[in-house]
Amino acid sequence: MTARIVICCGSGGVGKTTVSAAVALRMAREGHRVAVLTIDPARRLADSLGIGELTNTARRVPLHTVAPDATGTVDAMMLDAKSTFDELVRRWSPTEEAAERVLRNRYYQAASARLGGSHEYMAMERLLQLWKEGPYDVVVLDTPPTRHALDFLQAPDRMAGLMDQGVLRWLVMPSTKGGWRALEFGSEAVARVLKRLVGRSVIGEIAEFFDAFRTLADRMRDRSVEVRALLRDPHTRFVLVTSPAPTARAEALYFLEVLQAQDMPFGGFLVNRTVPAPIHATATLDAALEPAEGLAASVRSALRQAHAHRTSVAATHAEAISDLRAAGPQGAPCWAIPEQPHDLHDLAGLVALGPYLPAGFWST
Amino acid sequence: MTTEPSDTPRPLPATWPRVLVVTGKGGVGKTTVAASLATHFAARGDRTILVETSGARVVPGLFQRSSSGYAPVQVADRISTLSITPQAALEDYVVQQIKVRRLFKLVFRNRIMGPFIEAVPGLHDALQLGKVMDLERERTRGRPTWDRIIVDAPATGHGLTMLGSARAMMDMTRAGPMYEGLKQVHEVLDDPTTTGLVLVALPEEMPVNETLDLWDRLGESRAQVRLCVLNQVRPRPLDRAEWDAARPAVQSLASAAAGEAADLLEHWMCRVDRQDEARARLQGGLPVPVRDLTQLPHRVGSHQDLTGLATELFAASTRRPPPSDPTA
Repeated sequence: MTARIVICCGSGGVGKTTVSAAVALRMAREGHRVAVLTIDPARRLADSLGIGELTNTARRVPLHTVAPDATGTVDAMMLDAKSTFDELVRRWSPTEEAAERVLRNRYYQAASARLGGSHEYMAMERLLQLWKEGPYDVVVLDTPPTRHALDFLQAPDRMAGLMDQGVLRWLVMPSTKGGWRALEFGSEAVARVLKRLVGRSVIGEIAEFFDAFRTLADRMRDRSVEVRALLRDPHTRFVLVTSPAPTARAEALYFLEVLQAQDMPFGGFLVNRTVPAPIHATATLDAALEPAEGLAASVRSALRQAHAHRTSVAATHAEAISDLRAAGPQGAPCWAIPEQPHDLHDLAGLVALGPYLPAGFWST
Repeated sequence: MTTEPSDTPRPLPATWPRVLVVTGKGGVGKTTVAASLATHFAARGDRTILVETSGARVVPGLFQRSSSGYAPVQVADRISTLSITPQAALEDYVVQQIKVRRLFKLVFRNRIMGPFIEAVPGLHDALQLGKVMDLERERTRGRPTWDRIIVDAPATGHGLTMLGSARAMMDMTRAGPMYEGLKQVHEVLDDPTTTGLVLVALPEEMPVNETLDLWDRLGESRAQVRLCVLNQVRPRPLDRAEWDAARPAVQSLASAAAGEAADLLEHWMCRVDRQDEARARLQGGLPVPVRDLTQLPHRVGSHQDLTGLATELFAASTRRPPPSDPTA
């Protein structure tokens, strides 16, 4: 059986990476074999997960040390966009020489981490590898910080466009002076302009890159079509992670719109760092503090402030959650993760978030 | 780690470079800090331009104005803003160079060539910095149009600065007109007397680690860092010792409501304790002034809010006595 995919999206600073790790742990406790792929983890995440270092290859998280009842497993890894691209070039080049030619190209070396949103695209490529080839039931993907939702979701389309053979043929035409070196760029005038602007050396490197890359473009293109389909697979779920803050929420709602327009399956909202309202009313607190004559005025005032502050913050958070509920499709889940009094710095802390997280989208 | 008593804050610079680049991770409040700096300098009489990058258009909303574009629009007294998109900067540059807009469209609006040119490392950052350079050089009736240029840098997922990224571009081009242009940009923007950096962090452990990490990677640009702002700081409601002493009395009230308030207060106290730790680590790790900005109870959205933040940022430290010898 192929794995199911959970993709965590959201704007920067909402705790997406931590949440992705916690979701993976939660699903492992339910018995799934889970892989979690993080993109830009803080150094601390590896420590929190109890593994020495996050790398491009999978490392087993020692989940049993804090949850002996867990029946599943979690393997964690970090995306290395450059190595993933290199690996693709090696895998899909017809010969070793052809692969080396691409890998040695200076333009490729400098641009491969950016070309056509390749950071975003390589995350998906790695996802596809794990999905097709890895021994996993669930793959959780933390997504790169992008300014716009579309940058991420349209990465496969852009990659497919770049790899279009017709386009490459048009760009690299046999030169009258022999070989594939000379570039037409459609017209002499265009080439002259480019050379004048960015310099001859850059254009030369790009030409060389096109020429070397043609040999694997077809395979790359097929691959990006597969990635495109995977994002729309009925078992894939996009989880939109947000904080209760208005800007992060607006971003999540925009992401939802894009998902719906692109026919990508929405799994629910995950609102991080929310706080519940106090149980007791202000009047009850005042009445309780009334007879306590021994309490300094400053202490009373601080207690009232803490209560009042929590009341107002909780109200805005509740409003944020109900806004998201109303905006999502009927019955779409909206999970709220309460703010933790301490920083999450170990596996136990991440596992403790479990009850607030989705356990799986497919069993129910 | 070197520890330093928190009651000896380093003083703010007596003079500031003309160009200030505000940088930090996504979500830390760079734009608010940039707008607060602009408000401060404008209030001192500087004609100030606040530059948003990578197509962000948040600033006009902070001043309750409608949208901005690639041309400066005034949003308050002596404050103008503009929003640079890499595409507009590219077009601007190319048209300046080749004087023919049609050729620009032919080359860069070309759906085939566009993505490859745009993938040239650092090109976007380099072009946006080029626009900042243009603002730096702009003259009106013989004098600089802008006394102060505040740049709200794009969020950098990997902690790289715009400046470092433009350097990658120079390595790629090596020669040619763009290289020459970049060299000029560098002469101005690498010069600590002309251009300063302001780092923004949140008062929590991870964001502070990331800021310390960024400092490590800044290399030669460290000399340009003038200030680190700790944003969204929550005020301390009560002295820690006073609270610890009073807690048993609150518990002895045997009231569920008082118990709950005590828990909430403790939660708050824990957060501000962690803030103090985070600030101490920043002060220990960065040899620059570190200043708090208090979290407002509402979203920052008016000139008045920004004036308040600017006042706090530049206040002579009232909570702590000034240092006798800042270099000691």
